[in-house]
Amino acid sequence: MAGSALKRLMAEYKQLTLNPPEGIIAGPVDEENFFEWEALIMGPQDTCFEGGVFPARLTFPPDYPLGPPKMKFSCDIFHPNIYPDGRVCISILHAPGDDPMGYETSAERWSPVQSVEKILLSVVSMLAEPNDESAANVDAAKTWRDDRKGFEEIAKVTVRKSLGL
Amino acid sequence: MASEQHAFAYDPEKNYDEDIMAQQRQIEKEIAETQPLVSGLFTFDDIVEEYTSEDAVYRHKIEDLKTRYANMRKTRGDGNCFFRAFGFAFLESLIKDPTDYSRFLELVTKSKDELIALGFPQFTLEDFYDTFIDIVKQVKSPGTVEKLVETFNDQGLSDYFVVYLRLIVSGFLQKKEDEYIHFIDGERTVKQFCSQEVEPMGKESDHIHIVALTKALEVPIRVEYMDREGLTCNAFTFSASDTSDDSLVKPAVSLLYRPGHYDILYPL
Repeated sequence: MAGSALKRLMAEYKQLTLNPPEGIIAGPVDEENFFEWEALIMGPQDTCFEGGVFPARLTFPPDYPLGPPKMKFSCDIFHPNIYPDGRVCISILHAPGDDPMGYETSAERWSPVQSVEKILLSVVSMLAEPNDESAANVDAAKTWRDDRKGFEEIAKVTVRKSLGL
Repeated sequence: MASEQHAFAYDPEKNYDEDIMAQQRQIEKEIAETQPLVSGLFTFDDIVEEYTSEDAVYRHKIEDLKTRYANMRKTRGDGNCFFRAFGFAFLESLIKDPTDYSRFLELVTKSKDELIALGFPQFTLEDFYDTFIDIVKQVKSPGTVEKLVETFNDQGLSDYFVVYLRLIVSGFLQKKEDEYIHFIDGERTVKQFCSQEVEPMGKESDHIHIVALTKALEVPIRVEYMDREGLTCNAFTFSASDTSDDSLVKPAVSLLYRPGHYDILYPL
């Protein structure tokens, strides 16, 4: 079904180009391969990530949209729901069979009517509101919980770095 | 003791989710390699040993089934079995008796605009709808059961068909939100329930999914419940409308339920 996946990804790319959501840019790295995308996510306003521009890679499986893509930040970002190697760990990126502990029952799951746009919007919310219940980066979760000031300092450095300062 | 060295020791610093998910993938892979999405026909004598190895009471229940059903087909236990079993069995019934075909085609053709009106983005619906309608139309082109078995064992086509049935159920529940909110557990809206329990592939079906599908498509379903209580199966008919009397309904599809799984039954 790679043909269906390609058709769907092209439709999503078109949609994102015509109606880009605020603070998000995304598209294939190279028009020859629609299964690898690059996204730029602006840090949400009124949060410690405000002002940053964070690049990430999305890798789509051949059976997309039956299965979700994987997402990985290609910059350093210290956050409870991002693994130290950049991989994003939020519920919408998991197939329903994958039910890692700690997700709230109300959390959104991947389904074929979700989309790249929905994922990226969830990532923006995740930046604004980390979930320390299901930590991918235990250090970051502890810092967020016990030393909010320290967390914000690290975030500020991340923001400056993301702008090449 | 040597075995203690291998005993599980919880490491609070470690994230176990990845291991659990890898194991889950492995189990799914094994199921996919050993079970077809929709099998050929089996007689009850073929399956009696397999079922009774689970529980001896099934031997009596299989004898009971034999008084009403000729044979069965198995479906893959991948969480989509209810939808796949229903879809296959209903289209197969239309190949054998096309009386209901035009009504059904008209109803599902209209469903796309209804789903868009409920807020599903067109670009996420379109491919599933197109594949679904193509498969429905196979029934008349002219359809054979062999071709239908082939289509339902093509993972891509079969899954796209299942996705669309899930969307029909989601749309129906959302449309009848006031009625169905009372049947949803947890502090969830109907929309949340649908996006967590109906729309994702692999999510198992409960009573509410069956009720909604039956009513949305106006296709009555009979389910034979093969649980561990008693010596016979309990049959339950899901009628297509609120007004029809169960005892008068001739189900278009008969399914066999063993805890957690649906297969297809063929009445005598």
